[in-house]
Amino acid sequence: MKTVVEVEHYSFIYQDAKVPAIKDVSFTVREGEFVCIVGANGAGKTTLCNALVGLIPHYFTGETEGSVRINGADTADASVADLSNYIGLVFQNPFNQLTYASGTVAEELAYGLGNRGVSRDEMRRRVKLVSQLMHIEDLLDRDPLELSGGQVQRVAFGSTFILEPNILVLDECTTQLDPLGASEIFDIVKQLNASGVTVIMVDHDMERVAQYADTVVVMDHGQISLTGTPREVFSASDINRYGIDTPDYVKLSKGLDRRGLGDGELAMTYEQTVAMAKEVIDR
Amino acid sequence: MKIELNDVGYSYQTGHHALEHINLSFEGNQSVAIIGQNGAGKTTLAKQLNGILRPTQGTLKIDGIEISGRTTSEWSKRVGYVFQNPDDQLFLETVREEFAFGPRNIGMDEETIERCIAKVAALTGLQDKLDVHPADLSPTEKKFCGIGAVVMMDPDAVVFDEPTCGQDYAGDVRLHDLIAELKREGKMRIAISHDMKFVVANFDRVVVMCQGKVLVDGTPEEVFSQVDVLRKSYVTPPPITRVAQGVGLKETVFIVPQFVEKLEDACSAQNS
Repeated sequence: MKTVVEVEHYSFIYQDAKVPAIKDVSFTVREGEFVCIVGANGAGKTTLCNALVGLIPHYFTGETEGSVRINGADTADASVADLSNYIGLVFQNPFNQLTYASGTVAEELAYGLGNRGVSRDEMRRRVKLVSQLMHIEDLLDRDPLELSGGQVQRVAFGSTFILEPNILVLDECTTQLDPLGASEIFDIVKQLNASGVTVIMVDHDMERVAQYADTVVVMDHGQISLTGTPREVFSASDINRYGIDTPDYVKLSKGLDRRGLGDGELAMTYEQTVAMAKEVIDR
Repeated sequence: MKIELNDVGYSYQTGHHALEHINLSFEGNQSVAIIGQNGAGKTTLAKQLNGILRPTQGTLKIDGIEISGRTTSEWSKRVGYVFQNPDDQLFLETVREEFAFGPRNIGMDEETIERCIAKVAALTGLQDKLDVHPADLSPTEKKFCGIGAVVMMDPDAVVFDEPTCGQDYAGDVRLHDLIAELKREGKMRIAISHDMKFVVANFDRVVVMCQGKVLVDGTPEEVFSQVDVLRKSYVTPPPITRVAQGVGLKETVFIVPQFVEKLEDACSAQNS
């Protein structure tokens, strides 16, 4: 598998800030990998997302060190528009993602395509497809500014998906969605990932992280403290000190072990946890 | 205190009917979570509770007095509403001023205000941030600043709109402690939330809303056992509850130790 993201000794300090938001961060992401970035608020997760898509250094000003390469292109040299051909970000606050230049949701979804000179027929086709995927067909004629937070979050996803990036960066992007709505969106993300799209996701929901991630990156005070598979990361007994909770699936596995009912394995997914619990009942 | 909604409806000026025929009653130091899909009317309902929005149909009474008879600022002494987005709520130069603003407006003396600020700052973890501009706080701190400003008013009921949204683990723990303190003080706690782990850990009653109406109203056990009904309002039970349901456990469990115990019981029943 080729490497699509290479972050090397990267540091960034926002203009006028006293301490760097990220310090000497290095990691790589392979094509098709599902990476989750976790950590306490203020650990540098959103800053890292902004650096991956080129908003740092092109939009946010400050001092950088080291490099971020996306598909081999250094983000310091490539423009945000060029980078958007490969990598797309869904913002934490969906209202920050709106262009505020579109009168309708359909125009909002098509905005990025317009900038790329895509034909109107192709635009219509993709807007239809994405609006069906995101269940927002009935919102296409509405003004984006009149929508609820959850609805805007769906539009924000749609306006990123429509550009068909090979790498998706998702920054806590379902916090305003109802539980089934969020799981619908993660099913779509998982399908895209299965079809080869690389996913880099920031999330506080540790059950979801354990369920989906190939690799978990734990950030703490701007640095990477721990990297590994969900099993490697969540089996660490001191994981809470990085400001993250242990997934309930892991808590249950450990609880069963303590009562002599477990098999020493840690369940990481819903399916594994159900199988583990069934085994205890049937024993 | 008692909040009663009798056949309450609310329509926005656009003609959208956000609430229809709501009959609910909240009493004493109850803790109530309001859950349901996006656009179900949860925030519209919560904003009725201290008069930020007034019913366009039916009546809402607080301790038997119809809400339409008084101003929102009068009701805010009884029922505090914490906005989902703190930027909609905060407008002063420092955290200290945010905390002091409401109490000062209702004539609380400066000495009491200072004492309350110290207590609320400790509860919200903002002791070292009192002289900071709210715009310079982290998103979590800002959220706690909004909560603190409401708690400062010492209302009989606190209504939280999506308090866990954007919170990390430490924020969740702090919020849990803060709600427990409000409980100790005998206050009513009402929260809108999409975070089902938070709901079952902090609330004794759950109201499920769907398309402007109340779909189910009951204990967490009653509500989260009705998976198909919940699905109608785009809600799923918390992760460990879903696992227990997945293995066919009859009881509804919400926390890991409870589930471990049930599994141990099931295991020994099987072997006896």
